[in-house]
Amino acid sequence: MREQLKEALDQVQASQEMKERTLAYLDRRTHGFRRAAPRAAGWVLAAACCLVLMLVGGTLYFTPTAAISVDVNPSLELEVNRFDRVISVKGYQEDGQALADSVDLGHLSYTEALERLMASETIVNCLANEELLSITVVGDETQRTAILAEAERWAAGSENICCGAGNPEEVGHAHEAGLSFGKYQAFLELQALDPSVTEEDAAGMTMRQIQDRIDALTGGSAGQWTSGDTCGNGTGGGHHGYGWGGRHE
Amino acid sequence: MRSEQEACRAIERYADTVRRLCMIHLKNEADTEDIFQTVFLKYVLSTTRFQSEEHEKAWMIRVTINACKDLLKSVFRSRTVSLEELPEAVVSGSNESREVLEAVLSLPKKYRDVVYLHYYEGYPAPQIGEILGKKTNTVYTLLTRAKQLLREKLGGEEDA
Repeated sequence: MREQLKEALDQVQASQEMKERTLAYLDRRTHGFRRAAPRAAGWVLAAACCLVLMLVGGTLYFTPTAAISVDVNPSLELEVNRFDRVISVKGYQEDGQALADSVDLGHLSYTEALERLMASETIVNCLANEELLSITVVGDETQRTAILAEAERWAAGSENICCGAGNPEEVGHAHEAGLSFGKYQAFLELQALDPSVTEEDAAGMTMRQIQDRIDALTGGSAGQWTSGDTCGNGTGGGHHGYGWGGRHE
Repeated sequence: MRSEQEACRAIERYADTVRRLCMIHLKNEADTEDIFQTVFLKYVLSTTRFQSEEHEKAWMIRVTINACKDLLKSVFRSRTVSLEELPEAVVSGSNESREVLEAVLSLPKKYRDVVYLHYYEGYPAPQIGEILGKKTNTVYTLLTRAKQLLREKLGGEEDA
């Protein structure tokens, strides 16, 4: 049976015309057997698109749209992107840098970052020692409002914490002076009352000391902020009123 | 993508195999031409690196059988299949060859591939199983049953 079958099937062969038509078809479909080039070009184009997306995405991600200044002395500034993630942490003076190094806040949401920061040993000890802590926020209105709402949650829980909106125009001056913008606004308030105070003086002072000086110069009673108070509301006989720029309503 | 020279070599080497498999499944010249184009285009575009000629041949057989099955399943297939359309060379050949092929083509489809691969290509059951994606025991069963049917149609001695 095997031989019979082989003999029969041997007679079934592809015609030369069919082979030629198939080859012509392949030539047509592969543009002369050159499809590799368009495919390679496709990969290059796809890679270029990915690169552009990564660059755009990276640019969007790493562009700060808001900043949070947390000041006790130490002072820290957190830059936040449009996705509410912390993209940079900068400590001011040695103690601020030490605090920045001791807590890992990178790429956390600002909510998580504030929680971690407030739970840090340095901040807990400062608040236990009756130091004053201010949280100052700059950024577009929507994001600033949201961050301040979170900051107020902390302020509501402690009489030594206040929060408020900062003046974006002063951020550059603050950095030139080597101060966080939160502390710089407190310094401006104090300097308005006592022109002899320098930026270097402010750099070495705690927020408590600055506030005490302001209270002394305005005749207000030095002491604690009211629980949940906002920095710079400028009312109440000069009580903890830094006169900061963008007020938090 | 493979070069024109590789395509020419594959067509020269495997065109008859593809043609025979098409005859077993399709028995129709127009569909056979479709399968030729499909199979050799797949070959040209395939990035598979064949370890040997045997590997390449087995790939070609598997792709051809699958292409035939796909064509038969296709809901867009409008051509009718001529049940008795044997290649001209066979029709004009000996009566014995014609009878043998008619006997093979009269087998249920599930037996045709194993008969072709075993009797013509000389593959053992395990390798047929690999090509067709069937268990070896299943291939043995199909072969045994196919032999019985062919013997009934053609008479003569069974050979392994």
